[in-house]
Amino acid sequence: MEWVESVILYCLKKINNERTIYSVYHILKGKKSSQTIQDIHLYSLKRLFGVLEPLARDSFEEIIHCMRDNGWIIEQGEQKYLLSSSGEQRLKNIGIPIFLNGWRYHHVTTIFWERFSLLVQVVSNLINQESSYIPIQKNKKVLFWVKAVLKESHLSRSEIGEKLYEELNECFEDGKGIDPSMIVFRLTGFRQIGLTAQQASKKMNVNVYEYHLTFTNTLHYLIEKIETRGANFPILTHLLKGLELGDELTITARKTWKLLSQGYSIEMIAKNRNLKTSTIEDHLVEFALQIDRFSIDAFVDKELQLEILQIANQAATKQLKLIKEKVSRASYFQIRLVLAKYGDRQWN
Amino acid sequence: MELENLLKKHFGYLSFKTGQKEAISAILNGQHTLAMLPTGTGKSLCYQLPGYVFDGSILIVSPLLSLMQDQVEQLGRLGEKRVVALNSFLSLEEKNYVLDRLQDYKFIFISPEMLQSSFILQKLRNLAISLFVVDEAHCISQWGYDFRPDYSKLGEIRKSLGCPLTLALTATATRKVRKDIIQSLGIEDAVKVESTIDRPNIAIWIEEIEGYQKKTDRVLELAAKLEKPGIIYFSSKKMAEQMALLLEEKNNCNASAYHGGLDQDTRILIQQQFIHNQLDVICATSAFGMGVNKENIRFIIHFHMPMQIESYLQEIGRAGRDGLASIAYLLYSPGDEQLPFQLAESELPSEQQIDWLFHELEIGHGIKGDALQFNQGTQERGGFSEVQWRLVENLLRKEAKEKSSLLDCKESIKEFVNERITMKKKNIYQMLQWILSNRCRREFLLNYFEEQVTSRIEQCCDICGIDEKNYSASHKLRKNHLGKIEWKEYLAGLLLNSELRE
Repeated sequence: MEWVESVILYCLKKINNERTIYSVYHILKGKKSSQTIQDIHLYSLKRLFGVLEPLARDSFEEIIHCMRDNGWIIEQGEQKYLLSSSGEQRLKNIGIPIFLNGWRYHHVTTIFWERFSLLVQVVSNLINQESSYIPIQKNKKVLFWVKAVLKESHLSRSEIGEKLYEELNECFEDGKGIDPSMIVFRLTGFRQIGLTAQQASKKMNVNVYEYHLTFTNTLHYLIEKIETRGANFPILTHLLKGLELGDELTITARKTWKLLSQGYSIEMIAKNRNLKTSTIEDHLVEFALQIDRFSIDAFVDKELQLEILQIANQAATKQLKLIKEKVSRASYFQIRLVLAKYGDRQWN
Repeated sequence: MELENLLKKHFGYLSFKTGQKEAISAILNGQHTLAMLPTGTGKSLCYQLPGYVFDGSILIVSPLLSLMQDQVEQLGRLGEKRVVALNSFLSLEEKNYVLDRLQDYKFIFISPEMLQSSFILQKLRNLAISLFVVDEAHCISQWGYDFRPDYSKLGEIRKSLGCPLTLALTATATRKVRKDIIQSLGIEDAVKVESTIDRPNIAIWIEEIEGYQKKTDRVLELAAKLEKPGIIYFSSKKMAEQMALLLEEKNNCNASAYHGGLDQDTRILIQQQFIHNQLDVICATSAFGMGVNKENIRFIIHFHMPMQIESYLQEIGRAGRDGLASIAYLLYSPGDEQLPFQLAESELPSEQQIDWLFHELEIGHGIKGDALQFNQGTQERGGFSEVQWRLVENLLRKEAKEKSSLLDCKESIKEFVNERITMKKKNIYQMLQWILSNRCRREFLLNYFEEQVTSRIEQCCDICGIDEKNYSASHKLRKNHLGKIEWKEYLAGLLLNSELRE
């Protein structure tokens, strides 16, 4: 559980008592709500977005209580915690998995694994001249993808296994601090079926969440390697083809964006889309976070923007309530917009 | 061409198994056929082979999506590309694509729900259907343990397709059920190919054991002693999980649990590990087994009693498909029957749930034409499980078609539910009676299907006596083969040809 605990400690440290533990939970689960998306930007937790998707709520609470009982975190009131000095020390000693890149890779991680594991299985059977086997992936798109890759690669049956092996070897050997066995023993090939996640965690002697985190870290390492040095890996580079990395806006927000660009007002968009105004406001906050060219001037005048930023800086806080008390003429929506637009840059 | 040549050419087998040739010959003669062939003897061949003789398409109705998927894949592995499954897995786009080129497919699998659509039926009517196959045909009969209301309409559907040549397939059906199948499909002149339900190479052993702990110990003992691989069946997912852990820890055995609560990836891997002999024991719920073609399963243990004799036979029938000696244990503790009784009731809606639902219907969301108007969430609010809800919906739709009043409709649904519960209970009692009886186990089972014992079997059952040595493990368990291997070595094993590795 070392890394799972460490990752939670890291989040608690970053949010600095301004959010409850459930904000942390939602970040690790990868919840696609405006609040969570805003939080990861405000507190620089983008890399940890969705990296513990399978984490159950009660397991999460259990870990928190356990860390409290160990004296690593100190309760600060309703579901809020700060790190103790021993917690700080622990986080420093252990650190967090360095390749995790949730916000950028979270939504492609599953399909990347599906493609990767199927490619290995197909190649392995191909070089052994076996054509009758059960594909371990059922996703039709992935099945079509693998067919297309084999056709495009123009490699003979004798070459392709060797080439894939070399590329993977090179990729893995470069990675300091990763353990390739986290992924490799999960792979299936000719007359050799890979381990399930649960079996792998048992083999590695770690609990399932710890395993999931390490597995994800290793996958993100691979993705990053392929993304940045794809030219060195002619076969592996196919794994990312056609996938949109860092696809930042949720689908529903994208529709709002389209209408907004056509000049509709918030109210008009809400009416048109049959959504609450507050939902559309959430989308706008999302734009402020992610789209550089999106200007918030139409919604908050420059003067008010400055005022909000000053208060936020003085009080060194991102808690809306505290800011609102001092700038009463600003609405919560306006404060959120300003923090979303400039918050990240100010504090990082 | 001789049937054997066709068999060799398309399927690679040299000879037919019991009943296959009779059924196939009858079909090729143009006779409707009801074939009851025991589990694991290749029922699907009975429609696959005629597919290569007939010009038109083979339409196969199959009740379970997973089963359908398995059969499609099986044909795919034989190199048959003209196969398609029409079920709810298809997107609208895919469905339309397939429906536009139906005539290009030789084997068309379809779920009974899909056959309810008049649009699809119309498409099928324009198709030359050489053979109409009803798989798991016992689902047609109200007397069958697995009755499915939408199966009962197959007779009508068959008629609207112009009464094509028909093959009804089942593994386990009593005489009453078989009669129902024939009547319901309207194939009174059908040739009946009924091979025995007996599997003489599987010995049957029932043991009464006091209490859960002792049962667990006994399973560990058996799993250590018996020749593997084997399957242990449970009624609860949790117990299957626990036993798999115990087997790994205490017996140093390669074991895994398998049940419907696992995600699809995991289920596929575990099934494949078992088939490739990487696992010795599977601790499973009844979700495991469909489509698992493994020849050398040596034992089956039932930790809990199944809900009816038919299911028991299906489950033990997964052992010994290679014809070699295998054994089926059933461990019974007094009171075990409570669990199946509870399960039986939970599969059907309660009287209160039905009353509540009709109250909902009365206050506004009634039945219009044959369309049902429920508010979203009615299922959740009424606490209906998936199985219960499907049943209720089906029954309501049928009643609405007959334009009965709400009150009549309610009464007839209640009546139906009560009948089903009574029948399920009767099945459980029959199972229990068999367990508690001191007659030859095999004879009892055969009699249940109105068969007679024809010859004595050496290794028969706990009543007749068997020599347990026949089933003991011949060698010590090997350690898990992944013990010390490095990732590089493993990866090389997958991706490099053996010559290169050496």
